[in-house]
Amino acid sequence: MNPSREQEFRLGAERGDTPLLPSERVWGFWGYAYANSALAVATWVFLIGGATALFVGPLQGIAAIVIGNIIGVILAASSTCLPCGKYGVEQFTFLRSMFGINGSRLVYFLSVVVLTMGWLAVLGLMCGRALDNLETLVQQTQPDGDGWIVTAGALLAIVLAALVAMRGPDMIRRLSAVIAPSLILIMLALMYFISQRYSFGELLAMPPLQPPFENPHVNFMIAVEINIAAGFSWWPYIGNLSRLCSNQRTAFWPNLVGIFGAASLGESVSLFAATTLGSSDPTAWMRLAGGMGFGVIALSFLALANLTGMVNILYTAVIGLRQLAGERLRSMGWGVLIGLFCIIPVVIVVFLPGIYDGFFIFLVWTSALNSALAGIGIADYFFLRKQRLNLRHLYAEQSGSPVRFCKGFNPIALVALVAGFAIYVVVFNPQTLAHTDFFTFATASLPSCLLAGLVHYGLTRLLAARLGWGGYPKGNERNIEAAGLRVQD
Amino acid sequence: MNSQVDVERAQDLERRLRAYEELEKRADWPGALSAGDFVALILLTLVMVAGAYFLGGQP
Repeated sequence: MNPSREQEFRLGAERGDTPLLPSERVWGFWGYAYANSALAVATWVFLIGGATALFVGPLQGIAAIVIGNIIGVILAASSTCLPCGKYGVEQFTFLRSMFGINGSRLVYFLSVVVLTMGWLAVLGLMCGRALDNLETLVQQTQPDGDGWIVTAGALLAIVLAALVAMRGPDMIRRLSAVIAPSLILIMLALMYFISQRYSFGELLAMPPLQPPFENPHVNFMIAVEINIAAGFSWWPYIGNLSRLCSNQRTAFWPNLVGIFGAASLGESVSLFAATTLGSSDPTAWMRLAGGMGFGVIALSFLALANLTGMVNILYTAVIGLRQLAGERLRSMGWGVLIGLFCIIPVVIVVFLPGIYDGFFIFLVWTSALNSALAGIGIADYFFLRKQRLNLRHLYAEQSGSPVRFCKGFNPIALVALVAGFAIYVVVFNPQTLAHTDFFTFATASLPSCLLAGLVHYGLTRLLAARLGWGGYPKGNERNIEAAGLRVQD
Repeated sequence: MNSQVDVERAQDLERRLRAYEELEKRADWPGALSAGDFVALILLTLVMVAGAYFLGGQP
């Protein structure tokens, strides 16, 4: 094979066409920890910290942030980073083993496309709010709520994000390199301004902004649920990052430094800012915290940081969509595809601007899906496949592969997904915050994760072998089957 | 699957799959999470959840 072809195939492996070999992976422990932290410290930590402050004061809020994030991150990373980090396989290719080839496309659409469209609208509106607050600062007027500046700013941000995403990864990399350090500086400055006004004891004793229930324990559990949702929200993304790590251990532990540790710190600072400045909207803190100079600089950086985040998620989502979609989408121009992807975020910005203030509702809805997906992933990879994947099944032609299931979909995993989603909404309705007593000690994500896993495990044990689905190992023959040796015979 | 590129692509995939099958045959997988890692993870989670709840989570 000539060297240029070898290089082409290696690039293909990096993009997820084939498994990356251990020798080709680029990240060690600290490399991944840094990348992971840079991903975590983005404008979403401001929003999550601000949302937590609505329900609980800082002392309970920090507890909710730690509890929620550790649970969400560990379950999300166990179901994605461990298999992808071990086999170097692309996350949605790995998902074929439990959802089937078409099923993994459906999961991609539900978890990445829908999530990305929602985030584009939320971050775009945050850009709009940042511009509105800038105008307020300079003109010495009152903020405009969801007025025309916010809408126009949000639409402008979406258009700019689309234009930058069309330019490709180089520009994205350059923009991203400066954002995480800038946001850390803004957080340090916020903490400095807050510490000038309040002692630590006063800070911890502050009340929540708008607790919806009289019972503080219920408010605390909702704050925990929001933070579990924040941890789970990494589920669609971290598998594909962890496959770039040198081994499984390196693919797992740095998540506790970045998307748990760094994110928790950022959310805690945001929690203090929201509580002391009386608003869950991060753009208002920048205006109120440190006067005109700080306000102008911080709001400008905030708008730029949002734009970078939007470009990152837009680019990643459209790349993945192209990989998984059929020929028709692949033959479409890159710019056209990005433009089409932005239509729904634009509609949300114009007709549903309330998504920004009710951001946590959107976040918690995504957890109803992600928690069930994590439960199915853990049941399938750890308990059904005993941590051994048959890579030949994943990369075989659909017609000849056991992961074809039923017309490319695994009905068992889909039933488990619906069961997990349904129990979540029964236990805790993200839209109305209505909840059962069970929620007040068990959360909603954990029962959803557990039920989805149990349904997937039970039905697979009961039906999959009889139907010849999935190539699951049977009892003590698992090692031979799972190693792929039988398939080659 | 007729062109030279397709044949070479299939060979490249085969090479990668074989590499993982070789690893699978070994008694220990380099860098895999051990039982110790899982115990540490469970303990860490319990300490974090219980510690955070008792220090700040109670109303």
